[in-house]
Amino acid sequence: MAGRIFAPLLTVLLLGGVGTAIYLSVTEQFQSMNQEKIKGVSGSEKIEFFHDTETIAALANTPWNLMAQVEKAGSREIASYNLSNYDFAFPAGVPAAEKILREQNIKKYFQPFFTPMVIASWKPIAEILIANGIVEHKGNAYYIIDMNKLISLMLEKKRWTDLKGSNKYPANKSILITTTDVRKSNSAAMYLALASYVLNNNTIVQNDQQTDAIIDKLASLFLRQGFTENSSAIPFQDYLTMGPGKAPMVMMYEAQFLSEAAKENSAINSDMVLLYPEPTLFTKHVLIPFSENGSKLGEALNNDETLQKIATQHGLRTQNIALFRNFIKNKKLPVPDSLVNIIEPPSYEVLEKMIQKIELLYSQG
Amino acid sequence: MTCVYSAIMINLFIALMFLTGCEQLEQASSNSVLKVLAGSELKDIEPMLETIKKQTGVTMEMHYIGTLDGAEKIVSGREHYDLAWFSHAKYFSLLQDENKIIHSQEKIALSPVIPAVKTSLAQQWGWVNNPDVTWSQIAEKIKMGEFKYAMTDPTASNSGFSTVMSVQAALSNAGDALTAEDIDADKLKSFFSGQSLTSGSSGWLSEAYIRDQNKLGGLFNYESVLMKMNRSGELQDPLTLIYPKEGMVTADYPLILLAKDKIEPYQQLVAYLKSAEFQTWMMTQTDRRPVNTTVALSDSFPKGYLMDLPFPTSITTVNEILFTYLDDKRKPSHSYFVLDLSGSMGGDRLVALKQAMVNLSGGDSSITGQFARFRNREQVTFLPFNQDVIEIRDFSIGKNGLGMQKIQDYINSLKATGGTGIYSSLKTAYQQARLAIEKDPERFYSIVLMSDGISNEGLSYQQFEQYYRQESDYLANIRTFPVLFGEADQQEMDNLARLTGGRVFDSRKDPLSHVFKKIRGYQ
Repeated sequence: MAGRIFAPLLTVLLLGGVGTAIYLSVTEQFQSMNQEKIKGVSGSEKIEFFHDTETIAALANTPWNLMAQVEKAGSREIASYNLSNYDFAFPAGVPAAEKILREQNIKKYFQPFFTPMVIASWKPIAEILIANGIVEHKGNAYYIIDMNKLISLMLEKKRWTDLKGSNKYPANKSILITTTDVRKSNSAAMYLALASYVLNNNTIVQNDQQTDAIIDKLASLFLRQGFTENSSAIPFQDYLTMGPGKAPMVMMYEAQFLSEAAKENSAINSDMVLLYPEPTLFTKHVLIPFSENGSKLGEALNNDETLQKIATQHGLRTQNIALFRNFIKNKKLPVPDSLVNIIEPPSYEVLEKMIQKIELLYSQG
Repeated sequence: MTCVYSAIMINLFIALMFLTGCEQLEQASSNSVLKVLAGSELKDIEPMLETIKKQTGVTMEMHYIGTLDGAEKIVSGREHYDLAWFSHAKYFSLLQDENKIIHSQEKIALSPVIPAVKTSLAQQWGWVNNPDVTWSQIAEKIKMGEFKYAMTDPTASNSGFSTVMSVQAALSNAGDALTAEDIDADKLKSFFSGQSLTSGSSGWLSEAYIRDQNKLGGLFNYESVLMKMNRSGELQDPLTLIYPKEGMVTADYPLILLAKDKIEPYQQLVAYLKSAEFQTWMMTQTDRRPVNTTVALSDSFPKGYLMDLPFPTSITTVNEILFTYLDDKRKPSHSYFVLDLSGSMGGDRLVALKQAMVNLSGGDSSITGQFARFRNREQVTFLPFNQDVIEIRDFSIGKNGLGMQKIQDYINSLKATGGTGIYSSLKTAYQQARLAIEKDPERFYSIVLMSDGISNEGLSYQQFEQYYRQESDYLANIRTFPVLFGEADQQEMDNLARLTGGRVFDSRKDPLSHVFKKIRGYQ
């Protein structure tokens, strides 16, 4: 039996490494024995938040007294897990959450964090896109990318070498946004939602008829990319380590970029820029509790200002806008603190149907 | 009860605080052994395994295998591994399909697979310090017969695999990921007609290149291997590394978590492998590029980013590309099998030999088994021997495995009896191969020699060596791959492999069927 208590303690020590051990005072460690261990599964983008020693400490504090052990999974894959072993699921994206809520027949959920979808890119790429009237450098601070123009360019199968000023990026490759696998990961599903809105004459797709009219075009935005990864963490890793040669434009969560940018030895350099799509949409991070302790975690993330502050340090936006404003100001990040032209994704049924149709096209090779 | 817990917990806790505070004892708190299935090119990490253990408390128990073989082995679930560590995970990801086998992956290093051309040729062609060289220009040089190169078998080794994917993508001129329709048959056939040396491993390819450097213009390999070759002092004409403008496929060495419950030691490993200390070691000692951006790329690497080519969406397309390469695009092979049928080969040994040969003629239906079997357009010659060659039997393979049943029937009819005359039989094989080359030079010629004992009839090794050296102008392109089996003479087999530029395969621990499958990468 002792092993069962020993194990979570070891978990904390190992997750945070020696740093945790030193950080947590002896008293806090003793308190931790009263903590309730809870197990959850989350999209990969929030794993660092849960591994943060400050998060571990804040959750360990009264009134929460929680010790969360979190596994990562593609947000759209969570629904296929045997969820009876978990206290909570924390997918990114309302559609992925809706799927779990329906299948588990649960009504309760929390939406503590959200983050806009962005395109991570490089200065030379942004300059080419500016020269071609697709990107605008707003107040010399941040970049806005016109999704209507970009998507038509992509559907015309234009290559980078077809663009004005492409000597800055003389790639013979098609212009495409790199995403994750739309069958498995939320960030790609969000891109699908965004592209479907644009292709449906800037209105939310609501029925089969509208879907059928645009599905081949939508599918091509994914199929033409070739191999895609299952989790948004991997394209981001590639973005940080492989430069624009791997993927000149990567669809990701704003929080991924900001969280890295805020780090001390950040891998973000001055050539890396965010393009804010117009229109864009938010990914809401939805915590679905399966137990009372799961609910307690939801309440902690919703209400505890310390935890919200930590989440902000990880680039996530919360209901507390002031925290986010302070964060980007302190870190001098070229980020708009509020976004206009935010759209909603299509309903769960419509989006799922689109994905199923694309899945079918994948299997046909 | 609770009281007892608390007492235990406090003791454990105090012990733990003590341990974490004390570096040398720290490893004891988490010492675990992880079983790692790794790409064979990662053997060069071995000098660091002790340090890794010291820094993380985790012992990496390494088992080496080729990339595609490894992917298949893990997906089949036949054997348990905690981690996998390959040059890339794309084939693996596609193969796992709906089963979630990869629980986590973190890239550890980068190395593009690129062409390298002898500097004298690069100068002549204006390719030195020229960032605009394209795959199409390379294809042009091959077509004109000016560029003969070495490349590994794409179904056995990742450098060949990556090269084939790059060539397909670049020559199809598709801006998007390849589909089967994009593939231009004639261009590819022409490109691969320049391949004059094949191999089942990237490491052996560079050794074989060094031996045959006078006959070749360059090779395709990892940037890391090519840089090491240039530093080796064994090249008369150093290599100019080319980074084709259309792009290339870059190996990214993901460390993959297979056993979900090993997440903690896995994270410890990842943290150390991505630390500045390890990344710097890896860059300076193995010539792979770091993924940790705080480690600056050393001056030995060219500046600028690596242009990536898209990778196909489906396993079907990938396999189709590979099968097309084997069946239609590459130079066909003529494979000689000199097989010991002396009395000592009776019983289990003969059964094992028959199984191995039947597997190559369609008996192994696994995907790597399908890659390894005899190919369309291939010539296969069997020279079973005891005191001397018993008979010479030629087989031609056609489309869709035509002719393989005949091989199976023939193999199943073999019987073991008599003495062992290895070298007279091998000489016969060389004489046969020499005649065949004169008639049909556009093939790969190779000999597999399998014997379970010591030669006691006919020519001695020394007499064979004398023959080989006298005729070496004609025989030098015919390598012998000896298979160590039973009581074979390892020393002599090593000498034979060295003499002919082949490689010894040890079947004393590994089943014959595995060994023969592996040898196919060299034919």
